[in-house]
Amino acid sequence: MNKRNLLLLGFAAVVAAQLAVPAWMIIEREWTLREGRVFKFKTRPVDPADAFRGRYVWLGLEPGVIRVPDVNQWHYEQKAFAVLGTNADGFVTVERLEHEAPAGQAALPVHVGWPDMKKGEVHINWTGLDRYYMAEQKAPAAEEAYRAHSRRTNQNCYVTVRIRGTCALVENLYIENKPIQDWLREHKGK
Amino acid sequence: MNNKSIQWLYSELPRLVAQGVLTPAADASLRAHYGPVEPARPARLAMIIFGVLGALLIGAGIILVLAHNWEDLSRPVRAGLSFLPLVLAQGLAAWTLFNRPQSLAWREGAGALLFLMIGASISLVAQTYNISGDLPGFLLTWALLGLPVVYLLGTVVPALLYLWGITEWACHVRWEDGFAAGYWPLAALLLPLLALWLRAGRYQVRPTLLLWGLCVSVTVAAGVTIERVLPGLWIMLYAGLFALLFLAGEFWFAEAEGFWARPLRHFGAAGVLVLAFMLTFEWPWKEIGWHYWYWERFHQPAWHAIPDAVLGSLIPIAAIVLLGMTVRRKTPLGLIFGLAPILAVLGYALASLSGKYAPSAGLFDLYLLVAGLWLLVTGIRINKQGQMNVGLLALTALIVARFFDTDLSFLLRGLVFIALGIAFLVANIVMLRRKGTSHEQA
Repeated sequence: MNKRNLLLLGFAAVVAAQLAVPAWMIIEREWTLREGRVFKFKTRPVDPADAFRGRYVWLGLEPGVIRVPDVNQWHYEQKAFAVLGTNADGFVTVERLEHEAPAGQAALPVHVGWPDMKKGEVHINWTGLDRYYMAEQKAPAAEEAYRAHSRRTNQNCYVTVRIRGTCALVENLYIENKPIQDWLREHKGK
Repeated sequence: MNNKSIQWLYSELPRLVAQGVLTPAADASLRAHYGPVEPARPARLAMIIFGVLGALLIGAGIILVLAHNWEDLSRPVRAGLSFLPLVLAQGLAAWTLFNRPQSLAWREGAGALLFLMIGASISLVAQTYNISGDLPGFLLTWALLGLPVVYLLGTVVPALLYLWGITEWACHVRWEDGFAAGYWPLAALLLPLLALWLRAGRYQVRPTLLLWGLCVSVTVAAGVTIERVLPGLWIMLYAGLFALLFLAGEFWFAEAEGFWARPLRHFGAAGVLVLAFMLTFEWPWKEIGWHYWYWERFHQPAWHAIPDAVLGSLIPIAAIVLLGMTVRRKTPLGLIFGLAPILAVLGYALASLSGKYAPSAGLFDLYLLVAGLWLLVTGIRINKQGQMNVGLLALTALIVARFFDTDLSFLLRGLVFIALGIAFLVANIVMLRRKGTSHEQA
């Protein structure tokens, strides 16, 4: 094989690898959107501009604190799996925290924020589910609406999350039971 | 001999022949010995710089435009569009590789653009599907997908972008309490390319730029890849690292001319001086050594501390070995800067065994004083204004720092500052005058 063909082959392999990464990201998410189960997460209340990914609403999924029997088993930034259940209103609850993904049950990878030894509770972060992207000009309005409606006294904000295996993605953000895009359209100029 | 010196020699030759110092035959044999000089081509360099700048600006622009997030487009369209910048950049790189392989300007520009568009494409998919978190994972994927571009196109800007990527990755992993020692094998992936470039010509622009990048990157990484279970390990590690850089520069890159052409030497020297200045204070020496072992805060398995042991011992030892070689060469400057790791080990032992901080800090007071004086005096003697000023700066920093530690009156402090300022001005004026006269004489 001459040098030119070798170069061509090498270049083709590199191009394929570079295209494969975003392609696989898309396939995995599309698959989850099609076949994943929908879970509704209550949310807590910021619009940081991320230079790489445009503007987004910063989400705080609930529950953020889990009561556990073995609080001293957990430490800061530890990876854990939250086994999911639903309450009477259809919102997500966390049944327990596990070190490994349990078979046959819906569970999501989370990170331990900090364990509260006195109360026997663990604060968790829902890794990878903290952003909802909006158009640049809409993000601040969405953020404001989100903040106003997700205060403790006025909690009518939630997100739908599609979950397949341990792959999860935020599908939509709802305010007063309406998708954020519709809600913003209705409340334009108010 | 480097290009500049040969050029100077060639410009002197006609005069020497005319004055009868050299015979025409000697002139001819000198020219035959050194060969033709390649004239610097500023136009070509400008093209490379503008090519790269243009590519970087376009790349950044595309990232920003795409980050704008067109909500009106459907998800599949956005997913498809995510590939567009990447495919365009790949096309440009392919065209360059097969049609303009000789043009460094095209290669650097296309390589830089392709590198950036890999990140843009992944970011765009992440935006479409609300994928967040795992910034280290994103950075590492981006850097590794970009690395082949560096080798295929043989370009330095993508190599620097790669270095930025893995350094940033190491910092984020560290920030999240992870294990960042993977930086070292990742950085080593650039070594074959560096070796190739150094062989082709060690004072050329590409290896020099890469060496500057490596100096900065390695300095950051040394700090973030150690686990900090042994308090104060950084003192010996950094003293060893900067001395090693300086001595390597003295040994293998001694013929380069100008500040920018000698990255290892100048980065290493600056590092040693800044570190020595920091070590004249007492805070670095507080609570260090085995008595303050941090095992409890260390959640990771014990083998995670291996890089600490390897880096903390290998780097200072390598520096000391080079120092040994320097002693044989009898270069005083190498001796002064190369002494830093030995003093750091000594200071560390003093502070951790005795529990007292003042002797170790005093050791570096003395070291900085000697190093500063040496640089100042030799700088004046060999007519090197830069070296003289670095010496003066080191002395000034030392005096000012010690001044704030003591309870001297404002008046006295003020007078000493004025005296230092006058010393700076006088030394520089004298040096300029002397240079002026030597020019006139020439």
